[in-house]
Amino acid sequence: MGPLIPNGIIPEDWNYIIAILIGFAFGYILEASGFSSSRKLAGQFYGYDFAVLKVFFTSAVVAVIGLYYMDYLNFLDISMLFVQPTYLWAAIIGGMIMGVGFLAGGFCPGTSLCAVAIGKIDGIVFTIGLVIGIFIFSESFSALEPLFESSNLGNITLVDTLGVSPYWIIFIFTIIALIAFVFSDWVRSKVKKVFY
Amino acid sequence: MSKKYKLKRLLVRRYQILAAILFILAAGLVLLPKYKKNEGIAPDLFVKNIISSERYISTDLLADRLVNQDPTVLLIDTRSEKEFNDYALPNAVNIPLKDLLNENFDGYINQDVYDVILYSNENFYADQAWIISNRLGYQNLYVLKGGLNEWFNTIINPKMPEETEPKEAFDLYSFRKAAGMYFGVGIVKSEVKKEIKKKKPTRKVITVKKKKKRVPEGGC
Amino acid sequence: MVKKKQQNRHVYWNPYFGGFLLGLLIILTFYLTGRGLGASGALKSGVVTVVHTIAPTHAENNVYYSKFIKEGESPMNNWLVFEAIGVLLGAFLSGAFTGRLKLKVQHSPKITSRRRLVFALIGGILFGLGAQIARGCTSGAALSGMAVLSTGGFITMLAIFGTGYAVAYFFRKNWI
Repeated sequence: MGPLIPNGIIPEDWNYIIAILIGFAFGYILEASGFSSSRKLAGQFYGYDFAVLKVFFTSAVVAVIGLYYMDYLNFLDISMLFVQPTYLWAAIIGGMIMGVGFLAGGFCPGTSLCAVAIGKIDGIVFTIGLVIGIFIFSESFSALEPLFESSNLGNITLVDTLGVSPYWIIFIFTIIALIAFVFSDWVRSKVKKVFY
Repeated sequence: MSKKYKLKRLLVRRYQILAAILFILAAGLVLLPKYKKNEGIAPDLFVKNIISSERYISTDLLADRLVNQDPTVLLIDTRSEKEFNDYALPNAVNIPLKDLLNENFDGYINQDVYDVILYSNENFYADQAWIISNRLGYQNLYVLKGGLNEWFNTIINPKMPEETEPKEAFDLYSFRKAAGMYFGVGIVKSEVKKEIKKKKPTRKVITVKKKKKRVPEGGC
Repeated sequence: MVKKKQQNRHVYWNPYFGGFLLGLLIILTFYLTGRGLGASGALKSGVVTVVHTIAPTHAENNVYYSKFIKEGESPMNNWLVFEAIGVLLGAFLSGAFTGRLKLKVQHSPKITSRRRLVFALIGGILFGLGAQIARGCTSGAALSGMAVLSTGGFITMLAIFGTGYAVAYFFRKNWI
């Protein structure tokens, strides 16, 4: 019942083995969907390849529907899952910096690991850049600390923020996702084809 | 060309079917009736547990286990702290009834290693503690029948059986007397006080491993 | 033979199929361990370990590093590090099966590979900085955050993709 390891049904020591297996599947799926190619990733901002949007939305919708069904059938306890803390300004500013970084480098950390694994040199350079970026952040932490720690709203979910039942949120999210899929196909047919 | 066209139509239809499935699943989540989930055991099982007297452990049995130094016994005193400091059974842990659900004490009652025996002056507090814990689904909980009053009447101060009672009664009486001596009865009163006071520092510290629910960690 | 290789070059999975599998994987991850995926955390652990090994006193004095340094336990002893190892193995295997293992720089034919590498480095630095500030990257915060309807996840996701679309115009020479 529920998340197995926090409830003690599976002993704690399996945690790392499960981590490796899950990472294995994650890397496999990412690479096989083509996310190790930076041009495919950047394509979504220029309209010639919407794979990122499709994979993202599909996986989010499937995951959220699956989790809430499992909660409904008492297989899982949603309140025990990890919800990350919301630091309002840190998330927004960090997200903006990440957006610029995404466009410049064409990768994100998960996909850059895939690119490293299949030998893309720009992936390796991106990973080195990530390391340098983390290093820079840690060194200048004292200057950035107020931003980092500001406006902690706690581990809130959309349910708390919007005050609506989660099932309605999921429903509307699904509809938005479906509309986005149709829209992306329409945009793709209108944009000049790019071969990469 | 027409075969390719039909294939294309099927392809488009396939996505529409998948989209429809997703939509129906999401709609189902909204429309399904929501029932409140109970935390703990089912009500009918609960009532059955309350009615049965399985949870009672007699003072003789408890004395027997203590004399034999049964390591699986964990005594929990559900009275207030002051009463606990006045007199308590040896190696008992004090969890006043109002603090029963305090997180610190969760490791004592929510585990499956020791047999937890709740006691109080009579049955009252102990029964209440038992009911609360049983509702939450904890196992291995017992109540000392009659509480400390019964304990005094049987172990500390056992009733001498009549001449006409069978041999078992006499055996029981001698057992109770012997147990009483183990617990410090039969010694001169001033020494009794010293005995109890000396026992306090050697009170066993039970390191109970909490069957805790780990909060899952997370991160980027 | 050459034609077959040409055909195989860009045969990726259908994105919906990949998304579906990824969704199932996230459900499985949450069910087993109660936490989501993540990627940048592993690199952060790596950085902390290296700094700690090279200059222990500096690492302990620094406020940020000291959060992750515990006595007697390497910061690499972290769920995310093991997951990252798995990601490397999985991607390697997938690339090996489909013949995509090749050491090269992938860039638009309109720019040189050197320019691509420079931009990759800059992008990496910015992304590393941003990921630490926002406490998460796209896989950890956005994906797993959206799966539990976390507000932080949604905000981060909207910020990343919104900014991406806003500045896409300036980087268009690199990609199209």
